Amino acid sequence: MALAVLSDVVKRYDGKLIVDHVNFNIQEGEIFGLLGPNGAGKSTTISMICGLLKADNGEIIIDGVSVREKPLEVKKRIGLVPQELALYENMSAADNVSFFGKLYGLRGKLLKERTREALAFTGLSDRARDKPSTFSGGMKRRLNIACAIMHRPRLIIMDEPTVGIDPQSRNHILESVKLLNQMGSAVIYTSHYMEEVAAICDRVAIMDQGHIIACGTESELRERVAHEEKIIVKAANITPALVKELEQHPRVSRVEAVQDAIALYLPSSQSALQDILFIFAKHEGVIASLNIEEPDLETLFLSLTGRTLRD
Amino acid sequence: MNTWIIMMHELRRLFRSRTMLLNMLLLPLVLIFLLGASLSGVVGAKEAAKIEPVRVAVVNTGDGGAEASVMTKAFLETPEVKDILIPVETGSREAAESGLRTGKYAYAVIVPPGFDQGVQRGGQAELEFILGKDHTGNLVAGTAFDNFLRELNYKQAVAVTLGPQALTASSASAKNTGVVLGELNNGGKTYTAAQFYAASMLLMFLLYSGLTVTGSLFGDRENRTLLRINSMPVKDWQVFVGKMLGVGLVSILQCLAIILLSDWLFGVYWGNRPGLLLLFCLLMIIASMTLSVLVCLFSRTSATAANMISVLTVGMTFISGGMAPLPDSWVNSVGAFTLNHWAQQAIIRMMLHSGLEQLLPNLWVMCLISAVLFGAVIVSYRKVGYHA
Repeated sequence: MALAVLSDVVKRYDGKLIVDHVNFNIQEGEIFGLLGPNGAGKSTTISMICGLLKADNGEIIIDGVSVREKPLEVKKRIGLVPQELALYENMSAADNVSFFGKLYGLRGKLLKERTREALAFTGLSDRARDKPSTFSGGMKRRLNIACAIMHRPRLIIMDEPTVGIDPQSRNHILESVKLLNQMGSAVIYTSHYMEEVAAICDRVAIMDQGHIIACGTESELRERVAHEEKIIVKAANITPALVKELEQHPRVSRVEAVQDAIALYLPSSQSALQDILFIFAKHEGVIASLNIEEPDLETLFLSLTGRTLRD
Repeated sequence: MNTWIIMMHELRRLFRSRTMLLNMLLLPLVLIFLLGASLSGVVGAKEAAKIEPVRVAVVNTGDGGAEASVMTKAFLETPEVKDILIPVETGSREAAESGLRTGKYAYAVIVPPGFDQGVQRGGQAELEFILGKDHTGNLVAGTAFDNFLRELNYKQAVAVTLGPQALTASSASAKNTGVVLGELNNGGKTYTAAQFYAASMLLMFLLYSGLTVTGSLFGDRENRTLLRINSMPVKDWQVFVGKMLGVGLVSILQCLAIILLSDWLFGVYWGNRPGLLLLFCLLMIIASMTLSVLVCLFSRTSATAANMISVLTVGMTFISGGMAPLPDSWVNSVGAFTLNHWAQQAIIRMMLHSGLEQLLPNLWVMCLISAVLFGAVIVSYRKVGYHA
């Protein structure tokens, strides 16, 4: 059963189309990834789901309730983890969680219990009395999550929750997302890190310039670019002439050169591998390593838009 | 309920800030003390100066006690003169001069030989004065003896021109001491510099509560907590009203603290109408908060809003004559358009025990200003709103 349904959602700013007729469903108990480069329209879509922005057109239904008609009812069912930290620096971690819990209608014993639970879930129990100003970036991110989950929402929306943090905290957050999902909440996870989305999401929608350009499970999306392989050659002495000759090869569809490495996209690596090695030898390019990679979401995004996710 | 939660949160947040508490409570009291003590000559009326009796060396240059001037002695023995002059008979001019040099005497009078006889014969009354080191003593004694001589010469003139009968008639009706000490401000109450600046600083700091409004409204926007609150089941107006109630309550506590502490620490008398005083303060808080909300709703950044409110606060305090009473000029006329003007005038009048009829016009003006600003806030809020 669909927990969230977005039908033909449109948002304009100053006449410019930011979200362009977006449609997708999120099933109960699902982790749904929203992948796209900066400025793709992910945060605007999320803001409309949370009732922070009104859609110019279309309908958003969360748990059977229309965001347009009953925004407060929808907000009770949602927990938003904003992209940027939204904390009171001069209040303790417990006071932060407790204050936001009160606004979700929690009181008395239940509030205390849920505050304790949320801090324990994010691994901050022993820092409950400390102020966020004394926390590391990763700990602040975790507290940011704790403030959004203490009311046990049906749908948790995480807007790029791992931006600018250390690998340890990133892993903790990704594990937390999986755990929250196992506890029964559906999750919308936005990111421009393809690896994160691929690792934790059941389904992924790829967004670009306000459109959903692809939507499905990771394997379904890979299927769409199964015909294309990626060869990464790390080499010394990469010259413009070498790159130009590789681009002109009839079996190579695209070439990306970055400092001491070249990425080649082609339908089948086997058929052109010998030629590629010959071209490198001809231009005196000294090969250090050569990897043939399976197509991934990055490849899909590239094949659909001609750009990388981090462009 | 959400409004209550946000108000309590705002109160906790504000009371946790040491800087804010210092600015709200300590700074006004320090300013009241400093301005009240240092500018006491600029504002209000001082205590009337008390004239200390002046020691006067009296030298009768005639031959012994028989030659001593009876007229001078009679003058010096009148009760009014005794209050300000202490005559000391001195044997010689040299002794008087020596006493003046050492400070034993503040003034010396040399009575020439045959002074009384000369006057009685119709001659001009003349004494020789030697000034001492103390300017005030010279002034007091000089004035008293000048009056004495003027009186004698006046009587001489009357006797010569109108005859002795006229002199008798004028003596019967006139009081001849020549010295009467008046009392300054005998007619009513006055206020001290401490009272003036207590009222002025109270109003200025109530205006500064606008900065707390700025911090409150922009703080949540800038640290993104407003975005989170907006994603929760809370109506926008509940957030806004909760915040304003929190700031308003802090301002009321600040106002009470300034009034009570200035009374306790510096003896500032706030007048005989405590209820009306609090009503004026409440209207001032409403007016300053609503003014600040308007500035905040139409400002892009907290810095812009804070600067504008600071300029308005200091500007209005100065133009209304809150820093120092202004002379009659166009600046003083412009002062009538400031919030402080009406409230300060009313508070000073309450300190002077003015009647209710003198306070009511100020009360109505303050009510009108508050109502207009309140209305403007409602209209602006509906148009602009308060959200992330």
